[in-house]
Amino acid sequence: MRRTVLGLALLSVALLVGCQESGRGLLVSDVRVGAPAGPNAALYFTVTNRGDEPDRLVGATTDVAERVEIHETTMDDDGTMRMQAVAGVDAPINQTVALEPGGLHVMLVGVERLDEGESVDVTLQWEVAGDLDVVAEVVAPAETMADDHGQ
Amino acid sequence: MIEEPTPKPSFTLTDTDGRTYDFAAETEGKLTLLYFGYLNCPDICPVHLAQIAEVFEREPDVARETEVVFVSVDPDRDSPEAIREFLDNFDGDFVGLTGTRDELDAAQTAAGVPPAVLEGEGDDYTVEHAGWVIAYGADALNHAIYPFGVRQSEWVNDLQILAEIEG
Repeated sequence: MRRTVLGLALLSVALLVGCQESGRGLLVSDVRVGAPAGPNAALYFTVTNRGDEPDRLVGATTDVAERVEIHETTMDDDGTMRMQAVAGVDAPINQTVALEPGGLHVMLVGVERLDEGESVDVTLQWEVAGDLDVVAEVVAPAETMADDHGQ
Repeated sequence: MIEEPTPKPSFTLTDTDGRTYDFAAETEGKLTLLYFGYLNCPDICPVHLAQIAEVFEREPDVARETEVVFVSVDPDRDSPEAIREFLDNFDGDFVGLTGTRDELDAAQTAAGVPPAVLEGEGDDYTVEHAGWVIAYGADALNHAIYPFGVRQSEWVNDLQILAEIEG
């Protein structure tokens, strides 16, 4: 339930600020990366698939990191957090998928120093839509949370 | 908030200056937030710490009453210097601790969290760890546990209440 509400909230934020990038029916918005405190940073965004084919994020590239991986953080019943690499992120037709803290993120491994307010060029690689260039805003780590972002 | 608070654990680790840090003694009489994490964690660890740091900026009175203790559960990769640098991104007063794997396991067990597990090979292993912040009042009792996903407004509200608890 919480996820649904969050999804709607994100969608409305996206509608308010307008989508940042779109291509082949994919609307990508709210692209943000938390200013890294350690060797890695996490990139988050929201994608809505308004196309007529299901799509899938299969990778990403950026000049500011040594390597990019798609990761998912999950929580066990006992509260233990586990982060693991996943092969991709599905973007089903007519659905909005949010990459957000505690869930899915694109991990920038070996990232260079990034300060709040900077912009980072990232290319998102989609199975159907192909390469999609987006600009991520570097935000304070606490502001990567969907709840707090954009308020 | 926990209805029947449990006592603050006893464990000894090493801080980022290389000093021995007796958790119960060093944090005596203070609101204490204890978090086990690791530096390569880009997702939830920085968010927890950044949220707390933001509350401290807004509420200096709460900050003065509170000790934030970050324990790295990844001693092979996280040097004391790297832990200090990591924490300084949030708040220079946050305490960073490290230890041997055995000492860290003992600390996590004492605090009632499942000891972190390293997963994967080589340099790219990930760490499974308890993702929650444990709050002890000035009375040395555990009054609240914060899983990941706490809103900023909840932190502001709760830390003010927790800071009122007298030792």
